[in-house]
Amino acid sequence: MITVQGLIDAMEGRNEILTELLEIAPFLGKEGALKVPYVAPAGYFEDFADILMYRIRFEADGFGEINNVSSPEEIAEFSPLLAGLKNKNPYQVPTGYFQNLNTKVRVVENIPTKLVTIPGSNRTRKISFPMKIVRYAAAACIIGMIGITTFNLTHHQISDPINGLTTVSDQDMANYLDIDDVHWTPENTSSLETSTVNLSDNDIHDLLGSVPDVELEQYSLLLPEQKPSVN
Amino acid sequence: MAEKRTDTELLALFREPATKEKAFTEIVKKYQERLYWHIRRMLVDHDDSNDVMQNVFIRVWNALSGFREDAQLFTWLYRIATNECLTFIEQQKKKATTSLNDIESGLSNKIRADKDFDANKLEWKLQLAIQQLPEKQRVVFTLRYYDDMPYEEMSRILDTSAGALKASYHHAAKKIEDFILNH
Repeated sequence: MITVQGLIDAMEGRNEILTELLEIAPFLGKEGALKVPYVAPAGYFEDFADILMYRIRFEADGFGEINNVSSPEEIAEFSPLLAGLKNKNPYQVPTGYFQNLNTKVRVVENIPTKLVTIPGSNRTRKISFPMKIVRYAAAACIIGMIGITTFNLTHHQISDPINGLTTVSDQDMANYLDIDDVHWTPENTSSLETSTVNLSDNDIHDLLGSVPDVELEQYSLLLPEQKPSVN
Repeated sequence: MAEKRTDTELLALFREPATKEKAFTEIVKKYQERLYWHIRRMLVDHDDSNDVMQNVFIRVWNALSGFREDAQLFTWLYRIATNECLTFIEQQKKKATTSLNDIESGLSNKIRADKDFDANKLEWKLQLAIQQLPEKQRVVFTLRYYDDMPYEEMSRILDTSAGALKASYHHAAKKIEDFILNH
């Protein structure tokens, strides 16, 4: 019960809050107490306690009581209007639809299929014709792939790339370097880009035997600090 | 008209199995509107508020028999409601995996989507301004501004000192005024 003293206290409290607000934010304070503009749905507070108690019973009961209530009883309790509409279906199907559906299903059932017994089990499986074709095609593909791989392994010898290069003419090599825009000069090389190969005197003699002495002298002038190794 | 029972009487009835449901229904009816508006001001949307309201009272149902009356029942209910609101907002954030700004703009959009929304009316501008506040500042502002709650009581609900709450309310009111004057 609200007492007179309670009302006086509330008013004093309200005044104190408005005074405080006027000091902090004068614009808000002078507007007084603005109402909340939201609206609760009509009848919300009248029904809330009942709906809540229903939910509490439902959860406390572990769904037992609810499961014992049939669907028509339940909806009749909530809404007689919805209970009355329960069996009124507004949708229609074409005349004789369900009789024809039965016939169509039988036609589909009568399409001949082959029964295959799976070895080692008592189960049988129906394999339809298109499925059989797919399986044969898959098997043919696998056999083909195995055949091609075997042929490649037995008939293609992997040639030594160094030996292959010895048969390439200087002109072809020059064309290749031009096309691929490869630029090579001795100054650009580094230990990261090249490897060192140790050659014997005989190897050097064989490699440089056909090079005229004049050209070798010119080359040695370009590399005065190089040690006798070939990059 | 039957005289309304005090909280102490209602709690005594709640402890008796025969009158438990009746007492609880009376408690719900006594506090539902104040709690609803507290929740609604935080969550804006009615459906969200209704979900949280039900969760609050289910928690109350489960814990009320252990309530020791150290605090007022009303304070205890507000505390549960506030925590449920903050939990709900957290869950929404996780679901949406969006930033706080997105959640706030979502709440502002809900305000603008209200069928009665009028951007020229100050009370609607105030709601938009409240949604710009950080969540806890929003709680402080609404408890003080709309529910006229003394700082001492707010302190028991929010587990924060009265001084800190006063400062928080001060900041909130300034921010709201700036928002209203600049929008």
